Amino acid sequence: MRRFRGHWEDWRRRRERSDYFHERPGRSHSGSGSRTREDVVTRPLPEQAASGSQMAMSVDFKTYVDQACRAAEEFVNIYYETMDKRRRALTRLYLDKATLIWNGNVVTGLEALNNFFEMLPSSEFQVNMLDCQPVHEQATQAQTTVLVVTSGTVKFDGNKQHFFNQTFLLTAQSTPNNTVWKIASDCFRFQDWASS
Amino acid sequence: MRQTEIAVLDKASYRWNQEEQPDQLYRGHNNQPNFLQRRARCWGIYRRRYSNWSEEVSSGIHPSSHQQQDEDPGKSDAPVDTGIRYAPYAIPPCHRRGTFQKQDQTHVNMEREQKPPERRTEGNKQDETSGSWFKIMVPFGIKYDEKWLLSLIQKQCSVPFTPVEFHYEKMQAQFFVENANIAFALKNINGKIWDKNNERVCVKDMTRISIFVSPSDAPCSVQKELKSEKLTMHKLYDVSRQSLDIHKLRFDPALVTLGVEMVPNPGNDMAASLQIHGENMPKLLPWNLSNTKPCQLADLSTTMQNASNIKNLNLPSNEVKAAGKLDKGQGLEPEEMSADRNSLCTTFPDKSTNISSILELFPKLLSLDSQESRPPTNFGIEAHKRLPTCKGSFFESDALKSLVLQFLRQYYLTYDSGDRQGLLGAYLDKACFSLSIPFNPEDPAPSSLCEYVKDNRNIKKLKDPHLRLQLLKSTKHDIVRSLCVLPTTQHDFSSFVVDQWLQTERVLCFSVKGVFKEVVGKSQSSVRAFTRTFIIVPASNSSLCILNDQLFVRDANPKETHSGLFIPVPTPASSSVPTLSQEQQEMVQAFSTQSGMNLQWSQKCLHDSHWDYTKAAQVLALLKAQCKIPEEALTQTDPGS
Repeated sequence: MRRFRGHWEDWRRRRERSDYFHERPGRSHSGSGSRTREDVVTRPLPEQAASGSQMAMSVDFKTYVDQACRAAEEFVNIYYETMDKRRRALTRLYLDKATLIWNGNVVTGLEALNNFFEMLPSSEFQVNMLDCQPVHEQATQAQTTVLVVTSGTVKFDGNKQHFFNQTFLLTAQSTPNNTVWKIASDCFRFQDWASS
Repeated sequence: MRQTEIAVLDKASYRWNQEEQPDQLYRGHNNQPNFLQRRARCWGIYRRRYSNWSEEVSSGIHPSSHQQQDEDPGKSDAPVDTGIRYAPYAIPPCHRRGTFQKQDQTHVNMEREQKPPERRTEGNKQDETSGSWFKIMVPFGIKYDEKWLLSLIQKQCSVPFTPVEFHYEKMQAQFFVENANIAFALKNINGKIWDKNNERVCVKDMTRISIFVSPSDAPCSVQKELKSEKLTMHKLYDVSRQSLDIHKLRFDPALVTLGVEMVPNPGNDMAASLQIHGENMPKLLPWNLSNTKPCQLADLSTTMQNASNIKNLNLPSNEVKAAGKLDKGQGLEPEEMSADRNSLCTTFPDKSTNISSILELFPKLLSLDSQESRPPTNFGIEAHKRLPTCKGSFFESDALKSLVLQFLRQYYLTYDSGDRQGLLGAYLDKACFSLSIPFNPEDPAPSSLCEYVKDNRNIKKLKDPHLRLQLLKSTKHDIVRSLCVLPTTQHDFSSFVVDQWLQTERVLCFSVKGVFKEVVGKSQSSVRAFTRTFIIVPASNSSLCILNDQLFVRDANPKETHSGLFIPVPTPASSSVPTLSQEQQEMVQAFSTQSGMNLQWSQKCLHDSHWDYTKAAQVLALLKAQCKIPEEALTQTDPGS
């Protein structure tokens, strides 16, 4: 593994110098820490300079955007697939203190989230729109954050199909070899909810 | 048939035979003894079972039990002159499903195999038979009388066969045969049989009859035998336990006499068996599939009609293929499942994930491997899960609520004012903004929302990284510039639903959902719905500034279009008192007193109703009923403060 790590660093630095962008599967190669199939993992983040607006630009804004897009795409795929097919594993995608606001109902903490998702009927999601933005570190405590917005349709078992909009705030938890993304906040609403 | 006239393979049969290594079989016309020996060996199997069959292998002609015409056996490859219809191209008035006799159908096939018996006799069980069905097709067979055709074929064919389910399909004649040997032999005679033109007996007018052979599932009639007989199912159905043991099914002597093939692919048979169940045994509970060979559970469930009756699924030692296929198990909702030693386990990294996957796929499971691993409530076996009630706006606290609402008021005041340059102060230097519209797979290029299409940033569809970067506005000047080109709007503040989903000392995040009108002169304007997400940070001058802004615009649905009355956010202009007549001022006063709204809003309401007091009152009543009166309408202070 050590030998590989050295290669990895070289490769990463070479990649950053070039402007070439290509899609990469999100799975990193390290075995550090236990990782389950639900984790959303991307390659390590570019090193961030200390705060100070001039220094922060040492990393290209483009890189932030690319990275945000990549994380968002992968995350959304995994999230909705897990929601549809492996509902019990869904809470692994949330931070411990994450909050979900589901059509105005607030759910905080992993245990409450577990209960909530279990109570929800089985779902069939179809995502048609996805947008994301990197969130500047001013808003967070130097934790890389991405705002993800999705829209599409969902059919819960026993209910009619709804259009929905969902907003996530994703936070990166970085280790030297990979980055694990988790949900800090989740806001979900049907487009046609009725307060009855 | 003379042994030397073993057929040259035609293309179709050769293709089919490639899997079976035809060389070993069909070069036999040069190695006759081997060929015959092999056949004898396999026919030895039949010999043991079918004592009424002739054992003359070499003659090639067997008096089979079905009817035969009186023909000269020696001239089998000459045109036969009986049994031919005299209207070769007319569809006969009646063609019926062949009757056949089943007294010979007494073998049980233990395994589904398509290899000819020759290949399996090495080291295989002695009670093994050829075990599969083949469909024989005669193109333009519709011209021929069934009996005549079958006897003609039989004459040519070295192996006696019993055709099953002879019928005509379109222009073809079709029937099934039950073992590979027969099928091979029939392939053999493709092109070797001829009919005769009805008028003349010249060779040149004869038509060669082709025979095509292909492997197939058991014909329906055989499956229907199960249904009509019902005996097997009844026998195996343990009434006391209401269980059906499929394992035993294959060894059942009743089945043997029935001559029904039970293939380990349960899909087909389960279909038949469960049809029976639906009629007779609606409460099939346990279902034991233990020790079955590769069980395609997916096929199983899709062919089942009464899968929901299965309550207990026993799958130990089963090679259930990839768990993903189990997803298709609609209607398959067992309450008890035994899946130990199942290779399903190998798909997942650990047993608990495996179990939880099984649990997810079969949510009504009460017991897995005879263990109740979790209390029933966590299995989600409650009668029905329901969606939580949808609620209105959410704020963490009242203080945050007023903060957010005030922010929105100010923002949309400027946004709707017609000049959005004023929003420069609302954004941080390094703010981000992007816009998106829905993507409808069925209507990818709708004509509405065309004003927003050029800025639409849907990274699910947009893959070009440069475009992705370009459509994300990342300085406040860029942002305001792009906002200014969007259509002028008029937002309906009363329609706003706000979810404030994060608050820390550094950031405040919320999403607003509502409707707005695009103001296009005096003509009919479009009503749009939007969801806008703001990430706000405190700025240096103790105001709030936007760091991230994501806007999603769609067409409003009819309900949204007609709800709300587009009470616009009160603009400074409206708060200054326009010249009102004395009468109007009195109206405003009275209205305010009556409604509880402040003067500005009362005036607004009256103004919008063209100073028709009654109408204004009606509008107000409507708003009240819909709980849509904004709070600031009720405060007695100047809303601009």
